[in-house]
Amino acid sequence: MATAETPTGTLDTLPDSLEETLQNLKTPIEHIRFAVQSDISSSGSYGEEWFILTEAAIFTVTGEGEVLHYIPYESVLGIRAEVVVDAGLLVLETEEGTVDLIRYSNGCAAKFGFVARFIGDEIEFRKGKRDETPIWDYKSEDHSCKSCGLLLPDEFSPCPACTKKHKVMLRILSYIKPYRGRAILFTLFIIAGTLISLVPPYFPRILIDDILRLNELANAAPEASETQLGALFRGIQPVAIALSVAVGTLLSIQLIQTIFLVFQGRLAAWLTFRIAANIRSHVYKHLHNLSIRFFDKRTTGTVISHITEDSERLQDFMLEGLTFLAVQVFLFFGIGGMLFWMNWKLACLILIPIPILVFGAGWFWKKVRSLWHRAWRRRSKLFDVVNDSVSGIRVVRAFGQQRGEVNRFGAANIDARDYETHAELIWATYYPPLMFAIQLGTLIIWYAGGLDVLAGSMSLGTLISFNSYLTMFYQPLRYVSPLINWASRSMTAAERLFEVIDSQPEQLDDGSLKAMPNISGEVKFHNMTFGYDSHKPVLRDINLHVQPGEMIGLVGHSGAGKSTLINLICRFYTPDSGQLEIDGEDIKQIDLNDLRQQIGVVLQDPYLFSGTIAENIAYAHPDASMEDVIAAAKAANAHEFIVKFPDGYDTEVGERGGSLSGGERQRISIARAILHNPRILILDEATSSVDVETEKKIQQAIDRLVQNRTTFAIAHRLSTLRNADRLFVIEKGKGVECGSHEELMAQQGIYYKLVETQREAANVRAAAQAVER
Amino acid sequence: MENENIGEQDTSTIDTTKPEPSEPDDFTPRYLDPTQLTFTRSEVGTARLEIRDEVCHLRVVVRQLMPLSNPAEYISIAADEDTEVGILVNPSELASESLKIVQEELDKRYFTPTIQKIYRVKEHFGIHEWEVETERGRVTFSVRGLNQNIKQVPPARLFVTDVRGNRYDIPDYRKLDAQSYQQIQRHL
Repeated sequence: MATAETPTGTLDTLPDSLEETLQNLKTPIEHIRFAVQSDISSSGSYGEEWFILTEAAIFTVTGEGEVLHYIPYESVLGIRAEVVVDAGLLVLETEEGTVDLIRYSNGCAAKFGFVARFIGDEIEFRKGKRDETPIWDYKSEDHSCKSCGLLLPDEFSPCPACTKKHKVMLRILSYIKPYRGRAILFTLFIIAGTLISLVPPYFPRILIDDILRLNELANAAPEASETQLGALFRGIQPVAIALSVAVGTLLSIQLIQTIFLVFQGRLAAWLTFRIAANIRSHVYKHLHNLSIRFFDKRTTGTVISHITEDSERLQDFMLEGLTFLAVQVFLFFGIGGMLFWMNWKLACLILIPIPILVFGAGWFWKKVRSLWHRAWRRRSKLFDVVNDSVSGIRVVRAFGQQRGEVNRFGAANIDARDYETHAELIWATYYPPLMFAIQLGTLIIWYAGGLDVLAGSMSLGTLISFNSYLTMFYQPLRYVSPLINWASRSMTAAERLFEVIDSQPEQLDDGSLKAMPNISGEVKFHNMTFGYDSHKPVLRDINLHVQPGEMIGLVGHSGAGKSTLINLICRFYTPDSGQLEIDGEDIKQIDLNDLRQQIGVVLQDPYLFSGTIAENIAYAHPDASMEDVIAAAKAANAHEFIVKFPDGYDTEVGERGGSLSGGERQRISIARAILHNPRILILDEATSSVDVETEKKIQQAIDRLVQNRTTFAIAHRLSTLRNADRLFVIEKGKGVECGSHEELMAQQGIYYKLVETQREAANVRAAAQAVER
Repeated sequence: MENENIGEQDTSTIDTTKPEPSEPDDFTPRYLDPTQLTFTRSEVGTARLEIRDEVCHLRVVVRQLMPLSNPAEYISIAADEDTEVGILVNPSELASESLKIVQEELDKRYFTPTIQKIYRVKEHFGIHEWEVETERGRVTFSVRGLNQNIKQVPPARLFVTDVRGNRYDIPDYRKLDAQSYQQIQRHL
């Protein structure tokens, strides 16, 4: 039997005990080429089951070694990995019929997909339908961290476990480096500011004990001043002057504090926005170097939110949160020390409500936050309803569904109302008691401290100062919980930003890249297979050799893989197996900048950037002369309509100026491609969305464009491919026919059928039009 | 033009209409009579369908038309991946042997396990590890980014997708037992 060599890269390893059991069977299972483990049993529950390929047969066995299927390899006609809902099924075509061989969850889909591909290729090789033995090129689709083994979503992602939280913080701080001086100054301001803010609450003590009550005290037992600062004021006579000096000192301290706050705030603003802008531009720059696959795995929304929301969140936190946090931490310890220094017994008492405060506030914020979050979700759902029906207003009217839409809005509106009310109710109910709990500490001090004052062991001024500090002391505790949340959310935002920065770029220049500034445009596919998920090949064994300057029409039903082929030529993706060569060079080895400089694309719905028409035409070469732009527009049959615009070539297009028709946009995009002057040109459904008259103009423009370039064109209307040198017909991911129009018509195969169908349709249409007239 | 109401827009759309793909002549859906159907297992284990006095299909494919909202009814039966034989509105009217085979085939095609109990959801480094009980047994799986990977279908149905692309169904999270409810509530 002609089989390929036993593969060396094993998929799964049979446990020793199971292997032994299999060898001791009545008919032993030996000469195992490879074994693959599934995680679902044939009954459909989670369990272990094995697929085994030996030299002579295919087996499936349970984890205990009970044989479920035995199929001689020669009787296998075909094999496929069928995708069912949230699981997979390996199906064999045998001489006896179809066999559902083994079930597996999506987690095993990649390896079973590979097995099906490999065995399928081997069977075709055996039948002589393939001239090469299949290559064992299994790559696990699980991307796990190289240092800790944690499962990662794709090959681009850095491991979250190995990027530690404090490292994230350090990385953020590393962006401060260029502004070191100001950052140090800022820190100094915070420390100094905090220290200064400790002074004002101390003044009641001096004012009361050493100045206001001086006369009173003089009459009573001469109580020695408790502090040196107090003694200083006490020494000033008369008292009125002492009072004004004291108040004046307080005033100047508060002035200084205000000045500090101003500078601190200004510095924070200056620093934060610079750091945030630097992170943002770093992320954005990196984004443009990432592989298209990175964008496939994430929605546009997530990518945009990476740059906007995450960096904004980080920036807000740095601007307000970080300062607030730093100030509060300083204050907490400063005041705590002050309180203990003034009266440690009382200070111990104030610790009593702290657990209630911290846990109470923690519980409260958590509850409120989740409620607010839910309310916010309801509200965004409400906006979705509005957005949905306003965008589709024509459809709503046409189907007379205004009332239904109003009802839909009403339901969402009431839902949002209820959730918002609930959140606010909880807030309104629990916030005052929380504040009450905070007041408790003050009350305890008034009582316990009051007793001390009555007993004469503490002065009234000390008690009042003490209480002022106390209020400041409790302040940060109230916000501990939301602050921690805020901090952790910003850290997550920062992590996401760094995730983009740490992701692998599309092409790493390790020095082996080929610079190819002038390609001739020869394109060669050799046994190339590709799938967006490698276990679901979209293109299989593509073989095609295109000469420089040749025009190839890609034909096939939608979903056959035509656009995928084009994506590969643009090297948005790389083949899973086989080769794609340009000018005889593996596409992976070609410098991407060089490659893309020489590929031009005209799409069905061309994307124009916001800017003028001239700017859009010169997109690839912003320094192109006006003559070049006009020449390109002329060749694209675009000049004639551009001149009629009041603003001519200065007309704004893109999102702001959506007034261009589909045909006009198309011709501008053709002009853009002409000016770009690519060696390889790709036309993806370039004429499908325009009327016949415009199509003629575009076709003319395209005819000029394709001269002397290797061109790949996709078109549903086969008539537009009449200039193609060869047509390449793709059917279910395989290249099935290739040749000129005449050759393929003579073959009477798939292309012939497609042409016939379109001809019939055209006849029907013509007839319908005739009837109408 | 026979209808005055047809405006310019409408005629232009007629011009560019793509040709209809060739369809079977019959556009009316065929509803199968359960009393005429016999499902059997072939020797190799595939589901075979015999429609009395008509035809025998060797390997039929069954699909739910409403797998989420009404999985028990409206079953499409196809002779192969592409050719639908007909629609079976209420499979419970089948003979018990046949019904069993249809249900086995459905079970094979619709794997999505239903979460019955959540033992714990533990987070580390942004990945939530779930340990749950399903009708297919106890299983542990990892979910990354709960926001993107838990999809809520109003009012209270949840679909959880793990890092390997497996999907798990919670038909109504409010009906879970208290402990499970608490686990999920924390993360919603």
